[in-house]
Amino acid sequence: MMIVGVVITFLGFLIAVFSVGMTADATMRLVIVLVGIAVSLIGIIGVLNRACLSKAIWRR
Amino acid sequence: MKNAITIFALALSLAPFAASQTPAPAPQAPAAAPAAAPPPAPVPITDADVKNIAAPAADARAKGDPDGGLTGTVSDITVADSKKGLTIGDIANQIGQNKIAVNFVWTLITGFLVMFMQAGFAIVETGLCRAKNANHTMMMNFMVYGVGMLAYWLIGFAVQFGGYGANANLGNTPVLNKEFAINLFGKPFGLFGQGGFFLTNNHSYDVMVMVLFLFQMVFMDTALTIVTGAAAERWKYAAFVVSSFIMGAFTYPIFGNWAWGGGWLANLGTNFGLGKGYADFAGSGVVHAVGGITALAVSMIIGPRIGKYTRQGKPVSMPGHDLVIVLTGCFILAFGWFGFNPGSTLGASSNGNLRIGSIAVNTMLAGMAGSFGAMLYMWLRYGKPDASMAGNGLLAGLVAITAPSGFVNTVGAVILGLIAGGLVCVSVEFIERVMKVDDPVGAISVHGTCGLWGVISVGLFADGKSNYGGTWNGVNGNVTGLFYGDASQLVAQLIGVATLVGFVFTFSFVVNWILDAVIGQRVGARAELQGLDLPEMGALCYPEFELKTASVAVGAD
Repeated sequence: MMIVGVVITFLGFLIAVFSVGMTADATMRLVIVLVGIAVSLIGIIGVLNRACLSKAIWRR
Repeated sequence: MKNAITIFALALSLAPFAASQTPAPAPQAPAAAPAAAPPPAPVPITDADVKNIAAPAADARAKGDPDGGLTGTVSDITVADSKKGLTIGDIANQIGQNKIAVNFVWTLITGFLVMFMQAGFAIVETGLCRAKNANHTMMMNFMVYGVGMLAYWLIGFAVQFGGYGANANLGNTPVLNKEFAINLFGKPFGLFGQGGFFLTNNHSYDVMVMVLFLFQMVFMDTALTIVTGAAAERWKYAAFVVSSFIMGAFTYPIFGNWAWGGGWLANLGTNFGLGKGYADFAGSGVVHAVGGITALAVSMIIGPRIGKYTRQGKPVSMPGHDLVIVLTGCFILAFGWFGFNPGSTLGASSNGNLRIGSIAVNTMLAGMAGSFGAMLYMWLRYGKPDASMAGNGLLAGLVAITAPSGFVNTVGAVILGLIAGGLVCVSVEFIERVMKVDDPVGAISVHGTCGLWGVISVGLFADGKSNYGGTWNGVNGNVTGLFYGDASQLVAQLIGVATLVGFVFTFSFVVNWILDAVIGQRVGARAELQGLDLPEMGALCYPEFELKTASVAVGAD
């Protein structure tokens, strides 16, 4: 799960970077970048953090 | 005669009305006005003219100069050739030297102020931790200065600023000119610098480079010290040293290069027409968000302190041991921020640098608004104006204004500071209760969340009135946000946010994950319960205080 989380988080960054090459329209770029940020946040909060919490000291 | 005078006076008093009723002969009026005469042609000054400038007489100087009128005159200008005497060239060189000297002194002194922020961070973090970990927390904050500086001198500065180019405020020295770039979408994407290792490589033994290094080194150390707060009370000291070294050598400098060192984020404007490129005046993103996001990665990996959560996952309050030093530390940080933000002009003379006054006022106003926002939030939600959160609110406002301080007006500064004050409280609750990530000092929220908010707020509140030499990141014009008509600037800022959240977090997480697997990041449970002062540092911070606490506990039994 940790590796999956890392990949998803990094994927969000790539989506945002590639927005500049996909279109020249500012609104479309804005939407794509926001999607990229959302993907990264899902990777951090939804996947990586859950994986870390599964080993948390208070669960033992 | 009397009638004649009366008629003359009446005529004079009516004259303005008569004139106002007569249509103004617009085209003729300017031509008729004598004030519109062309300005006199400039008279060229020659070396002969400057030779006639009289220096104060020697006998007058011999009597002292109590009012300062005789000190700092033509006799203090350095003459290049004593045979020729004073020339216009000498005066021009002196003017140039004075400009650069003012900027050097400004940058150095503001850098000294930022360096003192380390003391503020140290006592804020130590005060918010329990007394049994005070030595350990204080020592991490103390040594992060040295560890970070070593890493930055060896590697980090060259990675961040090796391809920086020249800076007009600091003398235009072109020695930092090696940037590694790849080609993407037909444009160069600068990734890291390659000149300035050890401050000697690639002719970097240079006065401008030294000033830049000092100022940027203390910024880097600010980012590093953010992590020590979030990971306090359970971070193995050896792991802290290695992790901080890597952050000072790579994590911080890489993003710093992209934003400030001529990298791809700074060039989003020139390459892709996104506003003036990613604009982060003093580092809400480069310094604070990088620190806060790395703090989140480290905190997730090492996990919460023993006792922070019940078996059901409910958070337990673990108050710090000294609110006095916490709030004193906040004041020290607010003082240091006058170096952080106004100093980021890298000069006080020329190129629009007189905005330092505006930047300083924005800084103090946003800090005030942040503390108000946090205090009101806590008061309304929990019935008491929480002291530590008011302090964090001050810092949140200051973090948020760091990126936009050079681009916004005072109304924008207060609004974004107020939002930061509320935001930091919401973020602390989210990270503690929803994510269940333990952050003893609130560093992730103060620096991470509010740092990202600061980056975004440039894209919203920048009023387009600041002009630092006519361009920003190589794009003509002023940085202007969405509320003042430029949506593309907001896109550039959001790409910066995506880079911080997507790249910086991933990099920090992977590095610290590997470190955890190799040397272990967390202390043992026995050491943690005992307090880290003895097991990790070999000495208690407050030996007598510990004894007193023990005796009270025995008495209570």
